[in-house]
Amino acid sequence: MKALYLAATLALATAGNGIAWASAPAATPAASGAMLTVTFEQIEMPEGQILLSLYDNEAAHDANGKPVRGAMAKVEGQTVSVRFEGLAPGRYAIKAFHDVDGDGKMKTNPFGMPLEPFAFSNNAKPMGGPARWEAASFDVPAGASETRIAIQ
Amino acid sequence: MNRRDLLIGGGLAALGTLVPATARAAAAVAAKPDWTLGVTDVLGDIAPRSLKRIHGRAPDLRGTLYRNGPARFRRGDSASGHWFDGDGLVRAWQVRGNEARLAARFVDTPKRRLEERLGRIVQPGFGTLEQPGAIVGSSDDTNAANTHVIKAGNRLLALWEAGSATAMDPGTLDTIGQVTFRDDLKHMPFLAHPRIEPDGRIWNIGSGGAAVYVWRLSKDGAFEAGEAVKLPMASYIHDFTATARHLVILCQPWIAGAMKLPFSKSLTWQPELGSKVLVLDKDDLSKRRVYDLPPLSFFHLGDAWEEKDGTIRFDGCFHKDVTFAVEGAPGLVEGRYVHVERPELNLVALHPDGRATLTPAGITAEFPRSAPELAGLPRTATVHVGGYTGTRPFARSVGSWDWVRGRHDSFDFGARHLVEEFVPAGAHHLIGTTLNLDAKATELHLFDARRIADGPVTSWRSDVALPVSFHGSWVTA
Repeated sequence: MKALYLAATLALATAGNGIAWASAPAATPAASGAMLTVTFEQIEMPEGQILLSLYDNEAAHDANGKPVRGAMAKVEGQTVSVRFEGLAPGRYAIKAFHDVDGDGKMKTNPFGMPLEPFAFSNNAKPMGGPARWEAASFDVPAGASETRIAIQ
Repeated sequence: MNRRDLLIGGGLAALGTLVPATARAAAAVAAKPDWTLGVTDVLGDIAPRSLKRIHGRAPDLRGTLYRNGPARFRRGDSASGHWFDGDGLVRAWQVRGNEARLAARFVDTPKRRLEERLGRIVQPGFGTLEQPGAIVGSSDDTNAANTHVIKAGNRLLALWEAGSATAMDPGTLDTIGQVTFRDDLKHMPFLAHPRIEPDGRIWNIGSGGAAVYVWRLSKDGAFEAGEAVKLPMASYIHDFTATARHLVILCQPWIAGAMKLPFSKSLTWQPELGSKVLVLDKDDLSKRRVYDLPPLSFFHLGDAWEEKDGTIRFDGCFHKDVTFAVEGAPGLVEGRYVHVERPELNLVALHPDGRATLTPAGITAEFPRSAPELAGLPRTATVHVGGYTGTRPFARSVGSWDWVRGRHDSFDFGARHLVEEFVPAGAHHLIGTTLNLDAKATELHLFDARRIADGPVTSWRSDVALPVSFHGSWVTA
């Protein structure tokens, strides 16, 4: 079963691939296209930050490729929200982890297995690896919408 | 079409519709070979109870034989796909002279909790596919805690191989929980076959493809040191061995590739690679030697020792290939005996000139054990089970092989006992269990280790039939 956790790790440890987490999200023109609010709930430890990657296509999502957006949200309670503006309406999926110790990285054991809470959109379950696009993707319509993710 | 075809093709099929489903199910169960009692389901914990002494008088021996093995394979119409994937049931066989008692409790794992709630087997395993409802956040969510049990400090550790040890209370068998030896080592694999030095220090490895993590724990089970070490090849590893000064890791050509579920499908048998033996210096894991052996498949090794000229020896129970693991063991859960096990006892010698040689004992044997006070030190005897006849699965005899005299002292329980691992109990005895197919009950047997062929000194019978278990430890009171 050793391979189970190896695979589970691969994409998670690099959630936010290619995103400069320390910099503020680039300003995006408001009120154009879709606005998505992502609310994380059931947070167990009110500290650190949640790092998330937003994907707009199956290929990048399932191959752990480059996300279309990334974000970071400081955690101070049981819930926290992140807003993405100026998205093209369509299908999206999210991979996120709770960087409890705030070092900007998924904490892993020596074999690379994730040791900080992680979650996927639709609360899709990991199945011997990160949730797949098929299970994690959801529609983002024009205008404002919200999705909620339990991260434990 | 002859009469027989007509009966089978038309008669029986038509008859089938007339017989109530429950009766047909009962008939199907009745048709199963009786050795399938060895893979029966235990539905709940076994409350403490006295055993009936059926033979002999016991010496003044006090202690508990803790044993672990899979004991729940089916829920509703769902089933484990492999013998190795049932829920671990830890049994405590307590002996006080003539009196003996049994209690057994399932290890309360996340896997078992989830499947109890759903009433279905859903978690993936060594040879079990995940089913709808499975939740796998880490390998420990699939941890069956079903392979071995040791005592470390004041707690038991129920062991598996691809995830954490699970701590239990040795008195009540309450599950305390999965053990994180250090915060950053959570969920690291901890094999079911730690090697324990005579003073109690515990060495173990955890397998991660082309690397292993080497664990060193104190005799109380506290973390002392750990380090990842690269292997000669990404072998499946169930067991390793050790001398007083070395760790000895036998790498078989059953190689982990891209992850597939169930896990056994990730492994490919590549005999052209041969086998390798990695020897590490316990004091400096960067000091390493590698030896070559012919291709062999194995689960279990005996304790190793080093001789004056530097030769390292250890025994192992070697199969020709992985057919038992891939086809035989899954078949057992389904009541099919599709593979004849022929595990052959061999002595491996790693010579100072870099050669490695194999010496067969000429007997079938599994579950090799030796005196814990000689672990890692020169010894002559290997306790084992054997008598694999090919007429049904599981062992039927217990024995001790003497590598110096080439002498075999063994006792055959006969075709009606499924024989489980025996371990040394004190300086002069062996203790172990069998499942008696006629009495439909598990029995506890004590042997004089110097006169095994004489049969058990004392036998006790329980009032329950427990499925065949894997490994255990004798803990003196």
